Amino acid sequence: MFGFIRPLKSELKVREWERFQSVYCGLCHTIRSRYGIAQTLLLSYDCTYLALVLDSTSAGCETCRRRCITHPFRRRTCAHESDGIRHAAAVSVILNWHKLQDTIDDEKGWKRLGAKLLRLLLRRGYRKAQRDNPEFDRAAAEQLRTLSRIQDEQTASLDIPADTFAGLLRAAVPQEREDARILGEMFYHTGRWIYLIDACDDLADDFASGSYNPVRLRFSLTQPDLTPWKQGLNHTLLQSLAASYHAYILLDRKKDGGIIENILCQGLPEVTRQVLNGTFDQNGGKNRHGSI
Amino acid sequence: MDPYKILDISPNATDDEVKSAYRELARKYHPDNYVNNPLADLAQEKMQQINEAYDAIMKERKSGGSARSGGYQSSGGYQSGGYGYAGQSAGYRGANANIYNQVRNAINVGNIGMAEGLLDRVSDRDAEWHYLRANVCYRKGWFDEAMQEINQACGMEPNNYEYQRTKQVLSQSAQYGGYRPTQGNDAMDCCAQLLCLNCLCDCMGGGC
Repeated sequence: MFGFIRPLKSELKVREWERFQSVYCGLCHTIRSRYGIAQTLLLSYDCTYLALVLDSTSAGCETCRRRCITHPFRRRTCAHESDGIRHAAAVSVILNWHKLQDTIDDEKGWKRLGAKLLRLLLRRGYRKAQRDNPEFDRAAAEQLRTLSRIQDEQTASLDIPADTFAGLLRAAVPQEREDARILGEMFYHTGRWIYLIDACDDLADDFASGSYNPVRLRFSLTQPDLTPWKQGLNHTLLQSLAASYHAYILLDRKKDGGIIENILCQGLPEVTRQVLNGTFDQNGGKNRHGSI
Repeated sequence: MDPYKILDISPNATDDEVKSAYRELARKYHPDNYVNNPLADLAQEKMQQINEAYDAIMKERKSGGSARSGGYQSSGGYQSGGYGYAGQSAGYRGANANIYNQVRNAINVGNIGMAEGLLDRVSDRDAEWHYLRANVCYRKGWFDEAMQEINQACGMEPNNYEYQRTKQVLSQSAQYGGYRPTQGNDAMDCCAQLLCLNCLCDCMGGGC
């Protein structure tokens, strides 16, 4: 379900792109030092976005230059550990753990075995993240349980399963913050968008494997072709992005407005368009680390 | 707080710059963008701040740059257009009149859980029921179901002005309000491919 959030790089300023990367590297270093190096394998841009938004309400961004395994020779600029980065690190680890659990429950054969081995590797780090953010861990487990019940019932609705996943992201923001209400609303709508775009992207695979797909059931599709529903889906997806944006601009924003607005107003609408007309995979797909 | 900071401009900005900064912000935080939105109260506060900052700057400039004085009035240049969920009592008659009034009140005060619970208790579901549920869904961010419900309401009572107006608001992209998404079109993909080809040519050393 991850890997859809990304900026539209061609519209970013160079310094904005560098800042985005430095947050990504900073988050990666934080995850490594707190939860172990294995966890960094699963880091996506989605949590970078979370860290960026959480830190956008405080001024100043300190950086340092560090090496890492993927960049052993040249030091790269990394954002210093901050509250937002620390929070996003725990969220990332917890989410990946539950996603892995999901794979173990749903898959068979080699994929399942691989996931089980990986889980062994990740257990220690997950336990620590669980201690750091027990509320989110509880909320994530509960929402995912609800989601798998909805899937078992073959619910023919977009909004019911999307609401559950969106609720999970609403719980991913620090609840003790003064602006938790705004952040919660912002990430609720981002979550709805992620869930639905993932369902659209997985349509062909789910048709092949016969897995639950809300888009297929909602429109009673007989073949994996979204063309007649494209406009309606685009509209409902952009409505979520609009709601997310309207929440975002109410935050007391101090920095990184350019990047976040790029993601909300350009990157995500572009991903929406590519997924709906089937060109997303040609443009890198969700497993590509990067921007569009 | 410094009114120039609120409008995000320098104190040396010209009157036209002040005006255009004000218009830009007012477009973003306009109450119409937050109709039936759980954050409407915060948006309203923000809009008021912007109005007050603009009035303060204009007043100061008119009085020849003397010290800012308090007690200014909001010009209220932008008022809610009033579309979307109107919320006033619709003068119900019939069996569900009482419950529909309660639902409208619950939506008005933002108690969506209560509105939903009340709607669930109604068994004969007429156009008004679907209309009210469309509003509840919209408020929750369930945009797909909101669309289905409003279509249902309009199908059952095609001549109802309130339903038609809400349908229009929900289905038009103007409803995105201050949000201006940019999506490329398919012709652009062709350009992107050409660009990639061009890059490839460059890599291979061909100077095209």
